[in-house]
Amino acid sequence: MTAVRARSRVALGGALLALGFVLLLLAVWTVWPYALDGVPPGRKALSLGLTLVGIIAGGLGLSAVAARTKGLIPALIAAGLALIAVEALLRAYGVPPGLIPTPTRVMQALWNARSVLLQDARVTFVQETLVGYLCGAVLGILVALAAVRFPFLERGALPYAGLFSSIPIVALAPVIVKAFGLEWTSKAIIVAVTVFFPVVVNVVRGLQSANPLLLDLMRTYAVTPAQAFALVRVPSALPFLFNALKIASTLAMIGAIVGEFFGTEGRGLGFRIQIEAGRFNLDIVWAAIVVASVLGIAFYAIIQWIEHRYTGWHASRRTSNGRTV
Amino acid sequence: MTVLKRVPARSAGNLGPMLIVAVVVLALYWPLMLWVNAAQAQRTLDSGAELDCMTAISCATQLRNPTLPAPAQLAASFRTMSTPPMAPTSAPYNTLVTAGETLVGLIIASVLGVILAVALVASRAFERITLPWLIASQTVPVVALAPMLAVVLGQYGVQGWLPKALIAAYIAFFPVAVGVSAGLRSPDPMQEDLMRTYRASGPQVFWKLRLPASLPFLFTSLKVAATAALIGSIVAEISTISYSGLGKMLAENSRASDTLALWVIMLYGAALGIALVGVIGLVERWVTPWRAGQSR
Repeated sequence: MTAVRARSRVALGGALLALGFVLLLLAVWTVWPYALDGVPPGRKALSLGLTLVGIIAGGLGLSAVAARTKGLIPALIAAGLALIAVEALLRAYGVPPGLIPTPTRVMQALWNARSVLLQDARVTFVQETLVGYLCGAVLGILVALAAVRFPFLERGALPYAGLFSSIPIVALAPVIVKAFGLEWTSKAIIVAVTVFFPVVVNVVRGLQSANPLLLDLMRTYAVTPAQAFALVRVPSALPFLFNALKIASTLAMIGAIVGEFFGTEGRGLGFRIQIEAGRFNLDIVWAAIVVASVLGIAFYAIIQWIEHRYTGWHASRRTSNGRTV
Repeated sequence: MTVLKRVPARSAGNLGPMLIVAVVVLALYWPLMLWVNAAQAQRTLDSGAELDCMTAISCATQLRNPTLPAPAQLAASFRTMSTPPMAPTSAPYNTLVTAGETLVGLIIASVLGVILAVALVASRAFERITLPWLIASQTVPVVALAPMLAVVLGQYGVQGWLPKALIAAYIAFFPVAVGVSAGLRSPDPMQEDLMRTYRASGPQVFWKLRLPASLPFLFTSLKVAATAALIGSIVAEISTISYSGLGKMLAENSRASDTLALWVIMLYGAALGIALVGVIGLVERWVTPWRAGQSR
């Protein structure tokens, strides 16, 4: 009985959702042929009404569907609805593209400027972010190992790492750019510095989180310290390391983009965003933001995939409150 | 940005080693500075510029725009930029301006973040629709949006300190939402069962159990959000037309290649970041006194 009712509710939700999409597309279609400043008032009112009803129908339908479906589907449908609604509203109100470009204009800009944006993405992502990220992470891991090995360093130097992580990196960026020049290397150094501190702090905590019982067990097995390190401490540090690497991946992109605000050789996504925003070329700005976002999400997703690959054993050891055993 | 746990700073046992490390770093700074600056000084000497020093080493501490400033230069520059403290061009005044923008941004961000977190916990469907985008937005380089937001807000007449606070709020808002929604879900199922045996109503469970349980998460994410908001307001000052603030000073002195000033502003920015996190730590101790013993 309840299953039947639930299924009919999902069917109703799906129908409402489809209706919402149709109404929103109609809302775009009614104002599509007109120039931005030339939308007749009647058409504008019609389009706004269609948009309003479409959003309500789509939203109701989506919430009914989302209660029953899992994964990314509800989020993707919501984004689709939102994009069409934005397109309709921007066109109906005649918002100039120099202020907020419509989604279709952004997609056109993305396609038209693809070679420039690809080149920018290569400089920002491959050279600055990836190189800086790898250097910062490797250095951070080495320093963390040293800090765990020598307790003096841990007590004397590690508190500074905590302090440094509350410093705004943008204040650091111009100094580094002035010191190391305009090439991509100065931005890679900014990225390395931003990545370094979270990695150090988290890896040290991870190495120390090893279960004392397990270490005692190792001792009863008479293993060497090196073996105990490799078999107990390193695995227990891995979740912390990956947590740090995920935090650092987003910080790295921010560091590279902000670094480019302070000087480049005329390439890079941050440079493109800064310079085109100054010229009110917001189509290109949005296109660059889309590229940066896709790269940022992909970077994060790759690290998460590696994490699942190498610490899959860990999830099974979680307690109900989410803390590790 | 996921929660960045912090190393306990300055517990009594660490003070000695911390001081020794600081002294060693400062002692190493001097030869490093001489080594880095000597090459630049030599080039300046070779170009035949009029300098009141003879050798590269003695000039290394007197360059106008050194890569690494000598401590005396830094101190002198610090003094000139900090006095009088409330002049519109002085660093302390501009630091306060940025601090104000960041604080307003943080307040907006925490109000919106808590509301969103409550909605996320209340409705499964809402969570499924928005949570993937919230997670994705954490990985989006949000500073990329700042120049564009500045243009849009500026054209709608939102000017002065408000756009900076809004941009700061925009950047700080997601860590708060994600942290608080994790916190609202953090009570042990046992505790929820206990509330049920007391016949507590839904709102009572929320106010008496879920909300207090979420406070530690709120403060941990507020510390992350404070750093993020500070970055946001500084980036906003760089990319909008601003007349005051650390970001405006950074942009101006970066254009003028005044590295000494950049160093001083960086120190002020660092102090502001540390102070903000420290203030949130104090509020945390005051609001959640039951955690004072274990809040490391």
